[in-house]
Amino acid sequence: MQSVGLEAEKMNGQQMDALLRRFERPLLQYATRILGDSDRARDVVQETFVKLQDEKRQQLDDAPAKWLFTVCRNGALNICRKEKRMTYLDQELLETRESEQPDPYEKLEAKEASGFLLKILDTLPPRQQEVLQLKFQNDLSYQEISEITQLSVSNVGVMIHNALKTLRQRYGYASRDFLPFAPRTVS
Amino acid sequence: MKVNLDDPNLTAFALGELSVDDHAKMADAIADSPEAQSYVAETQQFARLLRAEYEADRQQPSPRSPFVVRMEEERRASWRYQWGSLAAALAIFGVIAAVAFTAIQRSGTLSKLLTDNPKPATPQESASETILEMEAPATPGPLLALQPPKPSGTAAPEFVEEPKLADKSLGYDQRQKPALDAAAGKYGGLALNPSAPPPPMPMKRAYVAGAGETPEAEPPSRYRQDFNTATYDKVEENPFLPAATNPLSTFSIDVDTASYANVRRFINSGSLPPKDAVRVEEMINYFTYDYREPEGDKPFSIDVDATACPWDSSHRLLRIGLKGREVANEKRPASNLVFLLDVSGSMTPAERLPLVKQAMRLLVDKLTEKDHVAIVIYAGGSGLALKSTTGDQKEKILRALEELQAGGSTNGAEGIELAYKVAADNFINGGVNRVILATDGDFNIGVTNQGDLIRLIEAKAKTGVFLSVLGVGTDNLKDSTMQKLADKGNGNYAYLDSVDEARKVLVQQINGTLMTIAKDVKIQVEFNPARVASYRLIGYEKRLLRKEDFNNDKVDAGEIGAGHTVTALYEIVPAGAGATDPATSVPPVDPLKYGTNTTNTTNGSGEVVTVKLRHKKPDGETSELSERSFTDNGSKFENAAPDLKFAAAVAEFGMLLRDSQYKGKGTFGAVIEWAQEGKGRDTAGYRAGFIEMARKAQSLKPREG
Repeated sequence: MQSVGLEAEKMNGQQMDALLRRFERPLLQYATRILGDSDRARDVVQETFVKLQDEKRQQLDDAPAKWLFTVCRNGALNICRKEKRMTYLDQELLETRESEQPDPYEKLEAKEASGFLLKILDTLPPRQQEVLQLKFQNDLSYQEISEITQLSVSNVGVMIHNALKTLRQRYGYASRDFLPFAPRTVS
Repeated sequence: MKVNLDDPNLTAFALGELSVDDHAKMADAIADSPEAQSYVAETQQFARLLRAEYEADRQQPSPRSPFVVRMEEERRASWRYQWGSLAAALAIFGVIAAVAFTAIQRSGTLSKLLTDNPKPATPQESASETILEMEAPATPGPLLALQPPKPSGTAAPEFVEEPKLADKSLGYDQRQKPALDAAAGKYGGLALNPSAPPPPMPMKRAYVAGAGETPEAEPPSRYRQDFNTATYDKVEENPFLPAATNPLSTFSIDVDTASYANVRRFINSGSLPPKDAVRVEEMINYFTYDYREPEGDKPFSIDVDATACPWDSSHRLLRIGLKGREVANEKRPASNLVFLLDVSGSMTPAERLPLVKQAMRLLVDKLTEKDHVAIVIYAGGSGLALKSTTGDQKEKILRALEELQAGGSTNGAEGIELAYKVAADNFINGGVNRVILATDGDFNIGVTNQGDLIRLIEAKAKTGVFLSVLGVGTDNLKDSTMQKLADKGNGNYAYLDSVDEARKVLVQQINGTLMTIAKDVKIQVEFNPARVASYRLIGYEKRLLRKEDFNNDKVDAGEIGAGHTVTALYEIVPAGAGATDPATSVPPVDPLKYGTNTTNTTNGSGEVVTVKLRHKKPDGETSELSERSFTDNGSKFENAAPDLKFAAAVAEFGMLLRDSQYKGKGTFGAVIEWAQEGKGRDTAGYRAGFIEMARKAQSLKPREG
């Protein structure tokens, strides 16, 4: 966001539009991961943008991403609390437990690779997915991620490190040119 | 200094996250470690890849619009936002998006709808043609032989928008508009409008087959015009139509039940479903009603009865019930089944692929040595996981099922091609030949355009292989895609939200699901204007046909399976009854200046309606007509058959969930009461399940008692 002349000026339509374009999908994915439900996620993201409408631009300063993800996250967690779901945060297991999913496998050709990495990403523990998304989709710094997620900076660093390591292993494994079950025929 | 490759700071260094000091230290530390340097380089490279993937994903427009639309609605409501250019952008699709909103909230397909413009032939389209040609000579199914002669000379109508269809879709629109149009004579009294079909909509020819290909005239299909438009998924409820000017009501039967299970999922998870997730006819047809068994060798029976309309006692509720002939499990002909299972990454959660596997196990258990099962899987690629195997080799089939795992992205089209090929290779003449597709419908590789997929299925359906679609999953359930695939593929569509539902669809109703006993079943109801002032067909909005289509055997319609029951309800305003509720009243129609030709008909009789049915044998191409008239004895709702009470309860429940303008005086409380009165024996407990769901919905509804 460019700095502005008027104090307490609110977003104008163009700025809103730009933010929507840039962050709507990332926020939806983010909220969906927390809530496990894309309908509620849409509500949360909508509320986030409605709040953005009323937010003074100064407060957004140079970090609309941090603001958006923080508000979105809190909104999503509020719903978790209200509906007494086992929340994302309560699940300590999430940090360590690998998703109980088989490693994906795929015959990968260069063209088909697109989108595939994100599928492997889904096999990571949810909090690792969260920090990766904030870091690599939304270019937030460790510091900003720490503020959004309430994790320490070094904790963020460890999670990203571990997540990347796992991801690279799985990606390398998955890229190998074979399919474990197909087109093999059971005879 | 030895650098530990498992030091998170090394990653932080690679990503430029270290402070200036720490960065310099780390740079020194790795200076003499080629291993660490390559680790950093790899990390950076991988980070770039990851960023690119995220960015590519973010560019996918899919979830964008639904809530922009909602914000737009809020903005319109409150006028407190300034949206500048966004508003301008929204204006382009505002109307479409607004009406499609709820449907999309459910299915998340707006991006597809918005991008699914009809487009010229793509390589995939040509490919689907080629496959069809390839299969035809290989194992010609009986249907192929029976297809009507192909007119030649017309260029590949597969991709030509037929003017006829254009005016048909116009016909839909007219029906869906308020009955006001009737005043303009569009519904034409029988004599009023002798030969003035709406002018064909000019359509450009989008595709012409390559020279030398055998042109294949395709029978007109119902929704050619519809599936590429965003308005398709919006259910615009049928209005009341005056019987005097619009005495014929024509529609295709529908045995889908998916909407019911989907609605139940919403309610069980604590929220009311989006309006357009509620397709009332699918709710009603979820239940089996106690209709008479068909006589002789007729494939189905027709029952008509009526009672006072419980949500408006001055109206009548007319029920038309069909019952398909029961076929004992032992008598079911040999089945050639191909399971086409989506094993893409999105199918990983327990309620998706694992549930599908459970469902398939239930089905396999019912099969015998005369049956054949093959399993085709698809993800980024597709493959034959089990070649066609007889049904007594259960262990082998189950083992193959067991070994399936989810992963990868979805190339539905490729899997569909392969599955139909396997089905054709093992075609059983006179048997059940069916592809059973289980997916969350999230086709994201290959042919992803919904229209192309549907055309592909449509071509495949001509090989005589029927289709069952089992939908699973929640947030990215592409409900509308699957409904259309089933519709086009001569099939049925069920949504599996639990093993119980799988048991209902695949075990208890196995014959209905697998065995089609009549196809292209159409209903035309003629109302007697002397008895009926106006009428409204409840549900079936997407199944309406033009009155001319009834006798046109080229027009595709729904299939009925063994033992299936199909129910349609009409709300009727009797002649002479003052329309009290403005929502249900029909705008007055001027008397026809030139009269109608109804004077010489039997309108003096007490008959309220004549119900006509057309169907074809599963492998036939010529339809047969059945007919039945009905005289209403004016029975009260209290005395109505329990079954009819129950159907009324389900219909009203659907209308309440849709917040329909036609819901009348009904409440969830009343629905529960009627359903209890109509519960009957309910051996399988489905009706009790409905009552439970209605209670839950009642508690979710904010302001109703």
